[in-house]
Amino acid sequence: MLKVKNLSLNFGGVKALQNVSFEVREQEVLGLVGPNGAGKTTSFNVFSGNVRPTSGEVTYDGHDILKSSMHKRVKFGIGRTFQIPQPMHELTVRENLMVSQRFGRPDKKVDQQRISEILDSVNLLHKSESDAATELALTERKALEVAKALATEPSLLMLDEVLAGLETTGKKLFMETLKKIRKQFNLSMIVIEHDIETISNLCDRIVVLNFGKVIAEGTPDETFRNPEVIRSYTGEENA
Amino acid sequence: MSNFRIFAPLAIVMYIIVPFLFSGNDYLMGMIATALIIAGIALAWALLGNLGGMVSFGHAAFFGVGAYTSAVLTMDYNVPVFLAMIIAGFGASLASVFMMPALRLHGPYFALAILAYAHIFMILATEMTSITGGAAGLLSIPNLPVFMGFDFGTKLGGYIVILNIVSLALVVYHLIRRSTYGLALKAMHDSELATRIVGVPATQLKAIMLVVSAFITGCVGAFNAHFINFLDPEYAFSGEWTVIPIVAAIFGGYRTLSGPVLGALFIYLADQLVFKSLLPQGHQLILGALLGGMILLSPSGLLPIITNMFKRFSKKGDAQHVES
Amino acid sequence: MLELTLQAIYTGLLSGGFYALVAVGLALIFGTMKVINLAHGELVLLAAYVAYATESKLGLNPLLALPIAMAVVVSAALLTYFLTNHIKKDRELNSLILTFGLGIILTNSLLMVFSANIYSTSTEWFFEGVVIGDTLFSMRSELLAFVVGVLSLGGLYWWLNHTWHGRAIRAVSSNLDAAKLMGMNPKQAEMWSWGVAGILATLAGCMLYTTSVIHPPIGHGLTIKAFIITVLAGMGSIPGVLVGAFLIAIIESLTATFFQSSLSELASMGIFLVVLIVLPSGLFGNKRIH
Repeated sequence: MLKVKNLSLNFGGVKALQNVSFEVREQEVLGLVGPNGAGKTTSFNVFSGNVRPTSGEVTYDGHDILKSSMHKRVKFGIGRTFQIPQPMHELTVRENLMVSQRFGRPDKKVDQQRISEILDSVNLLHKSESDAATELALTERKALEVAKALATEPSLLMLDEVLAGLETTGKKLFMETLKKIRKQFNLSMIVIEHDIETISNLCDRIVVLNFGKVIAEGTPDETFRNPEVIRSYTGEENA
Repeated sequence: MSNFRIFAPLAIVMYIIVPFLFSGNDYLMGMIATALIIAGIALAWALLGNLGGMVSFGHAAFFGVGAYTSAVLTMDYNVPVFLAMIIAGFGASLASVFMMPALRLHGPYFALAILAYAHIFMILATEMTSITGGAAGLLSIPNLPVFMGFDFGTKLGGYIVILNIVSLALVVYHLIRRSTYGLALKAMHDSELATRIVGVPATQLKAIMLVVSAFITGCVGAFNAHFINFLDPEYAFSGEWTVIPIVAAIFGGYRTLSGPVLGALFIYLADQLVFKSLLPQGHQLILGALLGGMILLSPSGLLPIITNMFKRFSKKGDAQHVES
Repeated sequence: MLELTLQAIYTGLLSGGFYALVAVGLALIFGTMKVINLAHGELVLLAAYVAYATESKLGLNPLLALPIAMAVVVSAALLTYFLTNHIKKDRELNSLILTFGLGIILTNSLLMVFSANIYSTSTEWFFEGVVIGDTLFSMRSELLAFVVGVLSLGGLYWWLNHTWHGRAIRAVSSNLDAAKLMGMNPKQAEMWSWGVAGILATLAGCMLYTTSVIHPPIGHGLTIKAFIITVLAGMGSIPGVLVGAFLIAIIESLTATFFQSSLSELASMGIFLVVLIVLPSGLFGNKRIH
């Protein structure tokens, strides 16, 4: 599905990404892990079109997506969330999804029943008519963030720390939701997460980034036993 | 619902009561028609500001381009007046297309780039003397015609025409606002990123709003040319066509549908009937003060305050009922 | 032909010094507060009218008006600052509308007090000719405005870089939060920048009165010119203002010499739009326009 080849990005003198290559397979959940500043969110920004890379190639279902504008990529089937939820203020929860459908779905159809289905899957149906900005709690705002992306009918969903900031029970419930929607909507996912337990529980495979480079790749179990990964996580000198 | 409560009485007043009471008084009818011209621009300005999130200081450019397009078409090419007025709208839209590069700019930069564009259009109108008559101006622009047995060339006729233009603009504004386009535009205000990431082509939507806003302003400008039968660049591109509508829209509340219209009627009539007699020279001082005062005290306009007061008032009333 | 070109460039250079003086106050305030003061040109004009009143009513040299004009204009600038500070939300855009309104108030106040008549200085010293190198001609006042402009910008540059108030302004303009964390009071730095902008506007106004004619509506045009130069410069860059002002003034002067003076404004507007769209951060800007 998503193929990343030799992706590099320089911000001024900072090498945010260096020759990053990896792949997301059909219906797979890939974890993107690494310490702060490793280039995880930057990768998302490149995939979704917020940032243009210095060099490299990203294809999605065979399309070279780097040439496409942000809204075109959504129609290819790439959806994402932001670390800080970006609800569309002044709109109700339902209206948020209506906009997603109208502009994000390839067929541009607004389908109220589908909206209800999506809201139900993230446990937000009872909040459909609430105001997105003022009447939602943090968990609900995160759920809306996911629902907004789902309403564009993506085949790949990129989740940027959706679990961060939630307390333990909330986290568990939300993780179950994510597992459920993965099945229900036949999704591939890329997940950025810090918590190793969450990653191991949710992901089929993980890619570890450090200082903008891929330092390891594999199943969660084998990767977290890799000494280099442990070193980067415990913050030792990375010579 | 609240729209209906404002617009139903407003329509009755404007379509029935005003013509019934004042149709004999050309001076007053002319003045109310001009207030509606301001209302039309204010509405177009507010559409761009409220839906597109863009503040423009250059609507005079669309007004002027519309006015000249219609005047030249009717005088030199014998195009029927009403048809020419519609083409004038497209002319203004075309002018707005030249401004599109400025859409890349945000907030104040856009506002001021548009101001520069407006200035350029005025200089061009002055310099292109073969078409526009230059600084000397165009005289004897054709009147509004007799149509289906009714003479729209009278003050009353002109009033009916501009009232219909403003009403149509209101309907268009309302339909856009109610559509999913409207929802997306509304959402773009706070976070453009939030909308882009679900596939909204934000810049294109803004461009469409600019074109629509220019179209309305152009038609209004064209109407004015046939209403007063005279144009020169200083007048057609005058900053007043920008200033008074902005004051009106801010005063009435540019986020509401009725605010710019009511604001324009109030501001223009107050300016002509009261401020001018108070301060024969420099009466715009009061407009400036109103504008500054509104921004400081109630940036969302006077109308929302009044409706809030009404709500509170009626709630209090209800509470008393319960007590008694 | 060559002589004509050189004269045009020379004239442009001189008025460039004056343009820079008009623009730099706007650039300074934008740099500190991200507020574009649309009443800036009216502040300049206000100083010019004080100079006119001093000359016509008191019979003094208009340059002696400087202290009074400074008091008046700096107070007006500080008042504008306090009002701008009271904007509750979305200051960037609302300050634009607020200062636009203040500009209308100032223009109309001047209209009420001084009428719509056109005035210029009657002190002959100012319009006597100065010839440099046998060929380049200017009025004394134009040369004076150039010198005052360049010296003021130099002085401002020195002040920003070598005094504590200046450093505070630079700190606040480059990173407001960091400056706050370092214990600075941004309000104080902002006030200083408005005060200094007022002083610069006063100087510009007095020069305006001695080199040119004044009447109420031109304040708005001055604001637009100042804004154009500030954008060309790259918002907030002081050396950029000087270069941008020279650029605009020389282009205007060349257009007026070889085409028509009525087209000169079109030329400068055209340059402005091209730069704005091709190089949104200006000729010398390193700050991104967000």
